Amino acid sequence: MILVALLLAPLLASGLTALLRGRRAMEAIHLVSAAAMFALSIQLAAQVLREGGVSWGDGFLHADYFSALVALLNAFVYLVSAPYAVGYFRRDAADNAFEQNGEGPPAEKKLLQYYALAPLFGFSMFLVVFANNLGVMWVAVEGTTLASIFLVTFYGRPTSLEAAWKYAMIGSVGLSMALFGTILTYYSAHQALGVETLSGLNWSTLVHSAAQFDKNVMRLAFILVLLGYGTKAGLAPMHTWKPDAYGEAPVPAAVLMAAAMLNCAIYALARFYVLTLRCLGPDFPSQLLILFGMLSMAVAVPFILVQRSYRRLLAYSSIDHAGIMVLGLGFGGALGALGMLLHMTFHSVTKPLLFFCAGNAQQHLGTDSLRKNSGGLIHSLPVSAPMFLLATLAVTGTPPFSLFQSEFTILRAGFAGRHTVPAILFVVFLVAIFCGFFFHVAQLVLGPANGLPRGEDSRWKSYPVLALAFVVIVLGFWLPAPLFALVEGAARVFEVQL
Amino acid sequence: MFFWQDPQFGDKMITLMAALILVLQIMMVAQHWLVTIIRVFAVQSFLLACIAATIAYFNNAPHIYAAAALTLLLKAIILPVVLTRLLVKVDIRREVEPFINMPISIIISGMLTLMAYVVAESFQRPDELAGPASLGHNTLAVAISLFLIGFFMMTNRRKALTQVLALLSLENGIFLAAISLTYGMPLVVEIGIFFDLLIAILVLAILVYRIRATFDSTDVSRLSRLRG
Repeated sequence: MILVALLLAPLLASGLTALLRGRRAMEAIHLVSAAAMFALSIQLAAQVLREGGVSWGDGFLHADYFSALVALLNAFVYLVSAPYAVGYFRRDAADNAFEQNGEGPPAEKKLLQYYALAPLFGFSMFLVVFANNLGVMWVAVEGTTLASIFLVTFYGRPTSLEAAWKYAMIGSVGLSMALFGTILTYYSAHQALGVETLSGLNWSTLVHSAAQFDKNVMRLAFILVLLGYGTKAGLAPMHTWKPDAYGEAPVPAAVLMAAAMLNCAIYALARFYVLTLRCLGPDFPSQLLILFGMLSMAVAVPFILVQRSYRRLLAYSSIDHAGIMVLGLGFGGALGALGMLLHMTFHSVTKPLLFFCAGNAQQHLGTDSLRKNSGGLIHSLPVSAPMFLLATLAVTGTPPFSLFQSEFTILRAGFAGRHTVPAILFVVFLVAIFCGFFFHVAQLVLGPANGLPRGEDSRWKSYPVLALAFVVIVLGFWLPAPLFALVEGAARVFEVQL
Repeated sequence: MFFWQDPQFGDKMITLMAALILVLQIMMVAQHWLVTIIRVFAVQSFLLACIAATIAYFNNAPHIYAAAALTLLLKAIILPVVLTRLLVKVDIRREVEPFINMPISIIISGMLTLMAYVVAESFQRPDELAGPASLGHNTLAVAISLFLIGFFMMTNRRKALTQVLALLSLENGIFLAAISLTYGMPLVVEIGIFFDLLIAILVLAILVYRIRATFDSTDVSRLSRLRG
């Protein structure tokens, strides 16, 4: 029942928003629904910890530890982005940012676009993790793309259209490959089991008989799925949509895409990875995952070093982190999976902080260019600017922040699994990314005063930053026991019982 | 027993229709006029629905009938109508010269077809019994060709609308693979996919329209401001 409630809450929010249309009403619905979803997902996590799994409708919807973890993370991202969105769009409306050449739709219409689409986006992300049927999961992943296209075109600039077109096209082609992979998986299972019923594509059914799948077909299926969901996760070389889409979307939408949607893509990939692991053994999928993981990190390095825009900088950081997660999965073993899940958890907390600070800076300066600014942001933004530095340190995996722990776990998994060369390269890339990232943000934040008025413009925008910074710091020293139990339970999904 | 109840006859019909689908796909590659491309796509989808219906008939599988009906309704009727209207709205009739010219494109498509046959070879199971259950397995090569040629066409064309059509024909390939290999996905998945497809086309149509309004062209090679 709780699964259905979690799916209905965003739908209801979207419907109510479309009906009421007043600015205050839309904001209130958005905040209340975000809080409700988070509360429900905590309850779900508690229930999964107690009972080991929750099902609905004959196993049509199913949540195990892994689903509950990702649902919780996504709900958290949604929760923190809600108050920020309120402040962000109020400032946009005050700046007349919705208008093009002095004309354009009234602010209310633009707000409706965001407040009605964001819950639909949230709905499809919950459906991704609760759908037991791999085909339905694909439909939901495609749904996340469709719901977010008009969030990318939000400002209606020529560049936003360009970004949305790339996003739609690359995303659709990628997902069509994932669909082909899903069909081939079904075929390879179908041959072995002769399952004709509705549950024939259910992950919880497939996983027990994966060893009997047709190995030849499964190999091709995994390649297609990796390319498909890899496109969605923004792995190189299918990453080109990411900097454009993240740079053009309004910050609250970019947060949902960079933290929550990324989790969904990795989640979908991981589900197929487990099937492949049980069918073909660890070698074949590991090699591919390590290859794509390394490639993504390698691609991120030069673009981060010579970046001109700090919004796009964050997108390349996201490509880098997608690579790290996939790499953790590829290094394999209990340690690799644990590292990947921890990384996903910490990343979902840290990335929004970084985006919020960048958004505050962008609205304050009126540009996202790193070249045009002389620095000194710390003098005019007393909260966001120092937190920007803190978030940069956290997201690049500097101790004592939590991402350091997960990256270290992945590194240990790499050496334990005798992947020495990738593990060494992993460290080299991390160091290079740290240097580039820290250099750019330090140049923006530090330095003499830039003459802009001092002060944060809205509590809606600075309180989420402070709250998140608190969470990020606390997580560096203390991981709550129930959350760790959830992560450990999710890691057990990846155990091979050959 | 009438001749149309013989599975061998069905097999021949399916092979024939699959061959036609492939020919239509190559026709699309070599076509400048957007209206013609849309019509070719509609005919292709119609043939696809026929293949699905044939397989459904010989296997007595009602859910494949449903898939066939959905294909017919959505891909052979609704989408062509929507796209034709869009065409009138954005007032574009002809594709500009693609990146690789037409004759070479056709040769490339031929090579992709060959490649698809090589890939499909590894899926052949000679020990499989002939009969209604193995009906349509030989169309896998055609499905993979559609997929590859659609992929090639997407990268080769400049107009936003042609890219959308290439994407659709690529999806036709996937549908053919699903039908011929596993007799379609479970119905709920099938419906979900069609629903997604419908929304996707509406979204893309709006996007094409807005690109046209903003850039005064639907030439997507002009969308190249975002770099680095």
